[in-house]
Amino acid sequence: MQSLSLRYDTLIEITTFLVRRWSEDDKITVELSPRKEISTKLADKRVTLIPIEHYQGDDFARYRQFRTSIWYEAMRIKFCKKILSNDHAFGFILNTLETRRVEMLGRKVWQGMDEELIFWYSYQWLYRPILSSIYGKARIVEAFYQYFIMGDIKGEIQPNQFEKVSEAVKLAKEIVADSLKKNYDTEWLEKKIPQILRILDIDSLITIPLVVPLKGPGIMATQQDLVKVLQKTAKNRESDLGKLDPKNVLEGKNLQEEFKILMEENKKSEKKGLAVEIIGISIPSITNVDETKIYDQDLISGLKAKFKEWKTGWHEQHVRAGEEFDEETYLEGHEPFFTDVKKIIKSRVLILLDHSSSVSDIQTEYKKAACALCEVLSFLKVKFAMYAFNTVQKQVMCWAIKPEDIKWNNVAAKRLAQIQANGGTPLAEVYSKLLPILKNRKPDIFLTLSDGEPSDPDAVRSMVKTLKSLGIKMVAIGLGPDTTRATIIANNLKFLGYERTLGVSRLNDIPKKVLNVLGTN
Amino acid sequence: MLQDSKYLDWNNSFEKMEKAFEAGLFVLVIGPKGTGKTTLVREFAKKKSLNLDSINFSLRTRESHLVGTKTLENGTVGFIEGLLIKSMREGAMLYLDEINSAEADVLLRLDEALDDRRQIVLKESTGETITAKDGWFVVATINPLTHVGTKELPPQILSRFPVRIRLEYPPEDIELEIVKRHSSGSHEKELKQGIKLANTLRQAAAVEELYYSPSLRETIAYAKLLDLKVPAKEAAGIVFGNVYAQWGSVEYQKVSDIITSMFGN
Repeated sequence: MQSLSLRYDTLIEITTFLVRRWSEDDKITVELSPRKEISTKLADKRVTLIPIEHYQGDDFARYRQFRTSIWYEAMRIKFCKKILSNDHAFGFILNTLETRRVEMLGRKVWQGMDEELIFWYSYQWLYRPILSSIYGKARIVEAFYQYFIMGDIKGEIQPNQFEKVSEAVKLAKEIVADSLKKNYDTEWLEKKIPQILRILDIDSLITIPLVVPLKGPGIMATQQDLVKVLQKTAKNRESDLGKLDPKNVLEGKNLQEEFKILMEENKKSEKKGLAVEIIGISIPSITNVDETKIYDQDLISGLKAKFKEWKTGWHEQHVRAGEEFDEETYLEGHEPFFTDVKKIIKSRVLILLDHSSSVSDIQTEYKKAACALCEVLSFLKVKFAMYAFNTVQKQVMCWAIKPEDIKWNNVAAKRLAQIQANGGTPLAEVYSKLLPILKNRKPDIFLTLSDGEPSDPDAVRSMVKTLKSLGIKMVAIGLGPDTTRATIIANNLKFLGYERTLGVSRLNDIPKKVLNVLGTN
Repeated sequence: MLQDSKYLDWNNSFEKMEKAFEAGLFVLVIGPKGTGKTTLVREFAKKKSLNLDSINFSLRTRESHLVGTKTLENGTVGFIEGLLIKSMREGAMLYLDEINSAEADVLLRLDEALDDRRQIVLKESTGETITAKDGWFVVATINPLTHVGTKELPPQILSRFPVRIRLEYPPEDIELEIVKRHSSGSHEKELKQGIKLANTLRQAAAVEELYYSPSLRETIAYAKLLDLKVPAKEAAGIVFGNVYAQWGSVEYQKVSDIITSMFGN
């Protein structure tokens, strides 16, 4: 078996980027699901895709099919008013017509997709079922699909049925051509569907079986099969897409470079040493989370503007000796020279977020602040890792939100967004879970954000001592609803042996406080 | 000198500036890089036949650059007047480019000259009070705060520029017009694609999915490469794509995928 072990988060990151750019909608989220078919929910702004390893062919071929499927869904988002379910004839036929319509609209802008479309169709042809394997009325609907989309049918159907199919396809093509010419949308198309149903002589609600890329012995296609199908498809679509060389289509030269980058990236970020799962740290796995709700753009921009000087890394300073003479300050009797000082945060930091039940009513704000903190840290190119803990089914869980070697991106934000505040604050237990990572990576600063006293203070005290002996600077930030509460919490934390404790009463101040800790280290 | 026919006043900035000039009000032009701020100012000075003095602000700009410096020649102390004084005396047009990248204390000296009396005391030299000649006109530009190296403009300086003109990236069809003026104007189809690409990247940068957003300068550069027979896809890679490689290969891959999907063979 070939294995395409594209790193999951890199793939999600690129997929999300592509679907948002192609569809020009910044709020779309992407989910990979092996159990469902490819679908898009316009209302939820969510695209569900089949994982890359479910496609046929070698790694590159799979990537190409996966990528084209993203493109189709992006085009649907851009051009469709609604997307019906595929499991009944009416929706199935509407979506079939829409597929062609959005494809023709989309390729006006995305002309580089033409070869990819042919490649995708060729595999689609291999995935489609042979008509004789479908029973009942669904067979004629599948025949319609194949004849309309691919220009041919797989297997045989009765001649009188084929007549119906070809008549319906002719009408369908006219409808699509009309809609393209006159700029009609989904709703107009929808009104035309009953005509097609009438020709095919079927009820609009008959059930249509699901078609997904099959992974079974029956589908193994040889290279020759594929070439044959490619040639046929290219010829069939010549009138729409122009003349395309099947050889070029098969090679996919345009994408090879990109795929190489993807694979290299994959190699580069393959986990070295400790895998977090082994030591009992979990990775939040839900992908259909809307991470945009924890992005507070105002807060982020404000912070970035504030810490800009750290970004450029240079700061001008007046001193007695220096690189340039400044006559004005000399005349005014100040330090006459100025010099540039490099300002940079070298410390590596590990941040632990408390998600116990007490933060549950402020958790969105809390996550927004944490997210802004990560944005600023990655903006300033600080090496950091972020973990969080909560309680799930009476068990303390420690979650890896952003391990040190992985970039902060919307995948990490998704992880943060899905952690539910629940349970107590068993800090010592969490520390001991993190201990292997701390020993291995040895961050300079270990920063704990907590809103209350730990449930196991004595154990925490000894853990803090152990960690300090590793050479890690232990810092705690106490969150409180007001200044008094925050001060009390911070003071209590001080007794547990932290080297530095701070109190925060306004959540939006968290990033600033953390950066100040880093800046003074 | 070539700028003359090339500026396209798509959002009536010119008219607004003209009104400000008539009313004797100073103008602040706000907008991201490469939206034609400087071109607008130059064009205006040319149309009005005004003498244009420009100062480019940076962190290293000092008061002496504005006001002037003392010199020592043949044993006598002299004074060379800076551009601010010079333009005040002449009643010329003064252009303060990227005013918000200067240190606040430098700007406070400007404040003195810009207030209603339009006067400045030359404390560096003879202590003479300089009053601006009639028709003295000041235009400043600032980049939005999100740009590296920019600072917030002190409010008192801000209030000296009561006419504020916002320049944004133009809509695609206008951008096409502008780009055409700067190139041969052939390759319309490829130009449209390049502009569409630039806009796609700008949108991505606006929501912080990318670190950089291409400006009008880049679309113009792209058009010029097309004129020199560089294939569209390659030109797009050179002008728009490759720059993202500095943020890592994933970032680069994202953009090059967009380029690949946009340009056919």
